Amino acid sequence: MATVIAIVEDDTDQRENYRDVLTAHGYEVRAFPDRPSAEAAFDRELPDLALLDIMLGEDMDGGFDLCMQLRNLSPTLPIIFLTARDSDADRISSQRMTAWDYITKPVSLEFLVARVHALLRISEQLQTAPTSENSVAVGSLEVNEKSMLIHWKGEPVNLTLTEFWIIESLTRNPGHVRTYDALSDVTRQGLVERNTINGYIRRVRNKFRALDPNFDRIQTVHGTGYKWEPDYE
Amino acid sequence: MNSLVGPRSASSSRGRTGPGNLRIRKGLKIRTKLLLLVGLLLVIPWMGYESVREMEKFLLEGQEQALELTTQGISSILGNRTDLFDPEVGVPELIGRPLTSLLSEITEPLAIDAPPEVWTSAVGPLTYFSGSGLFECGPGYRPDSLIVRHGLALNQDAVFAFFEIDDDVVVYRDPALLSLDTNDQIRITIQRNDGEILRYLLTAQEPGRFSVYLMRANWRDVVDGQALRDISGSIEPLAGGYAAKLRIPRDLLGVGARLKFEIVDVDNPDDRAVAQIISTEPDPGSYEFGSVRLVTPELAKLIQPLYISEANITVWDQSYRVRAQIGAIIPPAREAFGLEQDQAVSIFQALQEKIIQFFDWILRSPTRGLADMPDESSTEDQRILARVLSEGEPSTERRRYGEAKLIVTASPIWAQGEVEGVVLVKQSANKLLALQYNTLQRFTILFLAVFLFLAFAILIFSTRLTYRVGRLQRETEQATSSEGRLLKDRIRAGARSSDELGSLTRSISSMLHNLGQYTRYLERLPDTLAHELHNPLNVVNSSLENLQYHHAELSEDKHLQRARNGIGRLRSIITSLTEAASLKEALSQEQEQLERFDLCSLLQNCVDGYQAANPGHRIVATLVPTVAWMHGVPDRVAQLLDKLIDNAIAFGTPNGLIVVNLRIIDNEFEIKVSNDGPALPSEIADSLFDPMVSSARDARKTHLGLGLYIVRLVAEFHKGTVSARNRPGGSGVEILVSLPRDLNA
Repeated sequence: MATVIAIVEDDTDQRENYRDVLTAHGYEVRAFPDRPSAEAAFDRELPDLALLDIMLGEDMDGGFDLCMQLRNLSPTLPIIFLTARDSDADRISSQRMTAWDYITKPVSLEFLVARVHALLRISEQLQTAPTSENSVAVGSLEVNEKSMLIHWKGEPVNLTLTEFWIIESLTRNPGHVRTYDALSDVTRQGLVERNTINGYIRRVRNKFRALDPNFDRIQTVHGTGYKWEPDYE
Repeated sequence: MNSLVGPRSASSSRGRTGPGNLRIRKGLKIRTKLLLLVGLLLVIPWMGYESVREMEKFLLEGQEQALELTTQGISSILGNRTDLFDPEVGVPELIGRPLTSLLSEITEPLAIDAPPEVWTSAVGPLTYFSGSGLFECGPGYRPDSLIVRHGLALNQDAVFAFFEIDDDVVVYRDPALLSLDTNDQIRITIQRNDGEILRYLLTAQEPGRFSVYLMRANWRDVVDGQALRDISGSIEPLAGGYAAKLRIPRDLLGVGARLKFEIVDVDNPDDRAVAQIISTEPDPGSYEFGSVRLVTPELAKLIQPLYISEANITVWDQSYRVRAQIGAIIPPAREAFGLEQDQAVSIFQALQEKIIQFFDWILRSPTRGLADMPDESSTEDQRILARVLSEGEPSTERRRYGEAKLIVTASPIWAQGEVEGVVLVKQSANKLLALQYNTLQRFTILFLAVFLFLAFAILIFSTRLTYRVGRLQRETEQATSSEGRLLKDRIRAGARSSDELGSLTRSISSMLHNLGQYTRYLERLPDTLAHELHNPLNVVNSSLENLQYHHAELSEDKHLQRARNGIGRLRSIITSLTEAASLKEALSQEQEQLERFDLCSLLQNCVDGYQAANPGHRIVATLVPTVAWMHGVPDRVAQLLDKLIDNAIAFGTPNGLIVVNLRIIDNEFEIKVSNDGPALPSEIADSLFDPMVSSARDARKTHLGLGLYIVRLVAEFHKGTVSARNRPGGSGVEILVSLPRDLNA
């Protein structure tokens, strides 16, 4: 049975482009132009992954409402927000609703497919049995590449897919600087401005600090990039 | 994009230079203008003064006419009454000043034989009789021939009279001649209180004692041939004349007596005719020897009811003799004019006194004029009498004696076709003047009060107005920064008042409000625009990718590549559009995330990074301090520096040198990033740090003018300032950023 991906996007052209590329990659796509039709369909049957636009026509926060509905129906369903809105407030909202990823338009379809793949794999991993296999420990940090989970001092850190990739990239060579260009590639979003990278790093730091107020492993190398400060003990 | 940048920079530059070029005319402030306007009120007292003057003229004419009518009335009453003017009827009366008014009082009696100097000092200042008056002398008066200086003194027993007489020829009595009036002599007329008139003639045959005779009215016949002893005197020759010393016992005079001296001059020792007479009592009545005055009691009774206040009515006969008189020109009590000198008790009264004195000085109080009123005016009276008597026509004149004004009317009295006499009425016009003066005084005080009140009110009003205008001006100026940025979008002070200024305030306030909304719209515009562009861009992007996916052979297609490049450029535009807006939002949340960091190492790191990323340029850091602690968000400062370097690369020459300089100026760090590009156009120098302002003219590059706006936002977030200037020498631009130091090191 083919994996079912739900797309909720009010713009017909974009919706059909997503459908085309995902169909071409072998997914079964169900596309909805608005919240009522999507809600009705989700009540009947849950998809394996949902791609949601936040603004749906006149419905300013329609995507958030749908996310909450889906989260009620399934706590583990991978949800990707795909939106033109790029404010911290929106990102935080999406995080609160435990969306798995937040991508701003314009999105590269190639990267979109890669993300969908990655998220479905994680979802699959989580449904079978969470193991500590494939876990790499970097000091107090534990990175599970397979299930794309990060633990800091044993506590899970709730990161989005992009944020995970950034941490994973930084910790691959602790103590070495990751330049902005390298980090930009890692985010798999096409061209990414320094400021966007700074935003990701800021949000990641805040998430770590929520668990550990003294967290200071991610160091800024001004004008160049960031590095992960290894444990010295 | 160019259409967005162009008009804004153009309009802002035009708006900035416009008022600067305005030449402001020199002029007065509102308050000064209003006060000058009040000053125009000073015309009112001038008008008042003029109208009072006109009124005076009118009233004087009225008074004159009334007086004329009165005079003519009296003259017609007295017409055809020859009996009244019968020269044989009447009571002679000597009119003159009371004796006491002339005297200086002494205690010791004066000796007749004492030298003239003793007498002179005793009698006080001598009265000067030049004989210039018509009645003092005959028409042929020669001053070189006769001048009299006269003084009187009084003790408890006697009256002492002293004369200094200039006489070219002194003619003594010839003992051979019997008659007494043919030599230089002194005549004394005494009118006692009971009406009895005594006439004494004093003459001498040689220097020494006078012989004294009691004379009849014609001064020719002796009543008693005996020389008298009760009046004694002596004559003493002086250079150019003689001195005469007389002693008159007070018993002779009695109480309330009147006294007259006449100096009779005879110059020709051969014919011994009287050349001239000078009288100490220059009364017309004394012109006729002996007949002092003929008062007709009936006439007096007739004119008694005609009494006019402050007027003097006299009736004269053909011989210029007063037949009746009533009233006085000057009222007996001058206090009627309010001249009484109160003892100023309180300060207020003293002040009032001063004010009245001031008015007297300014307006020439007519009561002062009364002092100029002569007690006698016989010469002028005689002139008008002569005219009326000869012409038979009524006559009126106005006389001025200094400040005093006198109206004189004369009207002939007819009897059997002949002019029998004249009615002469004299009235002072000073009463009118006093009235006028009082009016003027009241008016002036009233005016002054009104003027001061108005001036005060207008001063207060204009001060308040100026204050309000100034406050509005201040608030309006404070509403925008010197770069033209809107700092507040309403004016509160004075917006509630209902007048035009309040309405102006409200207009400006609403204008600012609209401007604020528009500014906010403009500031939001990039964000809105970016958001709206994202979706179509995503359509194009995803469509291109689908195309490529389904047609793998097209992946190297040059047109597809170009479309991708276009999308890439569109993306970077949109990103920079949103950057400023999201930065503002982000900064407002980062207020609590400030930390202490070393600006020096941050700059050094950044510059190293920039150099690595831009091998085409030389980027050099010249950092004066080794450590520079500041308080802020290092990421944002790095972002600021990103923009400065981006800007320097964009506007500098290719392969040029970019210098990042840091130095400490007082409590601030100054970061200076200089490039060697072309100078800034002066018209955008002020607005360079505003959004959507760029000096870029190269259409191939994308310059939204948001980079330096971000620099400003970050600097202002750190309570710093930004400025731009051309480097001295014509090429190269410096952007200066001042950030406060952390002094808690």
